[in-house]
Amino acid sequence: MNIRFWGVRGSIPCPGPLTMKYGGNTPCIEVRFEELDRLIIIDAGSGIRELGNYMMQHDLPKGPIKTEIFLSHTHWDHIMGFPFFTPTYIPGTKLKIYGPVSYEGETLEQIVGGQLSYRYFPVREAELAADIEYIHLKEGRFNLGDGISLTTKYLNHPILCLGYRFEYKDKIFCTAFDTEPFRNLFCTDPEDPSFDEGMAEEGKLVAREQNEMVESFCLGADLLIQDAQYTQEEYESSKTGWGHSSYEYVCAAAKRAGIKRMALFHHDPMRTDAQIDELAEKYCNAGSNENPEIIFAREGFQIDL
Amino acid sequence: MTEAPLESDQRFIRIQNYIDRMPSLSTTVTKVLDICNRPDTSANDLNRVISLDPVLTGQVLRLVNSAYYGLPNQISSLTRAIIMLGLNTVKNLALSTAILNTVGNESSQILPMDLFWTHSISVGVTAKNMAELKGIPFAQREEFFIGGLLHDLGKIVLINCFIEEYDAVINQVRNEQGALDLAEKSVFGFDHGEPGRMIAEKWKLNSSVTETLCFHHQPDKAEENNRDLVSAVSLANMYTNILDIGSAGDPYQNEYLLTAALDRVDISWEQLVEMDEKIQDEIEKAQVFLQVSREGGTA
Repeated sequence: MNIRFWGVRGSIPCPGPLTMKYGGNTPCIEVRFEELDRLIIIDAGSGIRELGNYMMQHDLPKGPIKTEIFLSHTHWDHIMGFPFFTPTYIPGTKLKIYGPVSYEGETLEQIVGGQLSYRYFPVREAELAADIEYIHLKEGRFNLGDGISLTTKYLNHPILCLGYRFEYKDKIFCTAFDTEPFRNLFCTDPEDPSFDEGMAEEGKLVAREQNEMVESFCLGADLLIQDAQYTQEEYESSKTGWGHSSYEYVCAAAKRAGIKRMALFHHDPMRTDAQIDELAEKYCNAGSNENPEIIFAREGFQIDL
Repeated sequence: MTEAPLESDQRFIRIQNYIDRMPSLSTTVTKVLDICNRPDTSANDLNRVISLDPVLTGQVLRLVNSAYYGLPNQISSLTRAIIMLGLNTVKNLALSTAILNTVGNESSQILPMDLFWTHSISVGVTAKNMAELKGIPFAQREEFFIGGLLHDLGKIVLINCFIEEYDAVINQVRNEQGALDLAEKSVFGFDHGEPGRMIAEKWKLNSSVTETLCFHHQPDKAEENNRDLVSAVSLANMYTNILDIGSAGDPYQNEYLLTAALDRVDISWEQLVEMDEKIQDEIEKAQVFLQVSREGGTA
């Protein structure tokens, strides 16, 4: 497995002189299985535009493009690059798009493909040349063929969002974004008029259990790409409930889960290269038997597993 | 000329059609819409407003447990659903269910909805308090509340599907001063446990809640590992009827069955009566929360 980052930023693209080093594109990850001649893409943020261009140069000359896109969720920063993914305009391209959708929402096709309508874009989805299939994905374990298995887990984000665990041969690659630790949403102050002891106790129990399940989901990963948008101080002061994690929390969790290498991901659009360098000084290390190697994800960076 | 009575098969088809689009109770809908439409809804308020409507509670649990989310373990508590799927998801599930329609009109003459609602809440609260008394852990107590809250939903179905015949059932109970489930059996060939089971299966409720809807008048028929819940709800139902808290059309209780129910739960009548203040208090709080008339007016 070869993993390459095409977009590592959260929320909105933020190109400019202050984000040159880590990159300003929103999430897109290339997962290449060279010996199988198979390509899996995770998320279609603005980074997928560059990946599409790369595929036009390197994959198309070898024959029609066949690929799968796994969307973590359908928030805009994770799907906005789709209309600019050039292979969809090429006859012969076969594309499968997987992702979760909430009950009350529209279908995956309406949400993702719906960006290609005249109100947003000059080309309609019906005009795309590629053969595109949309597949609604849930929590579970799936056989992707070629010896690749996929496990999915619902994370904690304001809409339904899936973490992915790919296993191939003896390697494990996980993603856990966008997410924040599950927490007890119920009032725990006995003085508050809405306090209910049953809800408070069960809420605490379920939150702890779900956090343990996320750690087991990532257990022993050779690489974990992990949401880490905030410092603990930022998270607690004004970002709780936004669906993103702190560096402090994920570093401790990765250690508990025996992660070998963790790439911190979904950088805040306000974070400059200099600030990330400073954070890297504090959190990154080369790893040891007990501690995971920690890096900050950056556009163009590749990891071989 | 009177119409020939329906065959059982025809009845079940009519019941199934009704269950497929079963509406919320009008008692709670306005409040559900109010709470769910607020951008700052708290988890406590959301949980509370859903759990005060038996139909809505069942429908939300059905959606949470449906193939839609593919969650491997059945979720039988709203608290758990809210933590796992988030406030927004559960809020939207409740909203989309609550606006479907409301039970009202036809049923309100025979079984006033506010009284039915009060009865259901009382059985839920009583069963939950029994669970506490018996030392059942927190995480399982909500299931006792939900089992109690939902136990009589089969009646709503019967009334709305067979309005005239249900009138005859109520008259028979009144004239003979007998049990409602027996009167239902004599008129329909089955009691409200059967449509209760059909609802639970449609909503994919777990086995213990399903058996509660089906067997709360015959707890011995429940499977061994569901019997704690079914027995608790059975006793809570008798207690609520004897104390005349709300009404679900079943005012005459059999003393022999009561003794058996107390034995089954292994609890004394005195222990039950000691809970009374707490139960009344919880019902009153729920009524204030919903701003429902305490006079028990029709829906």
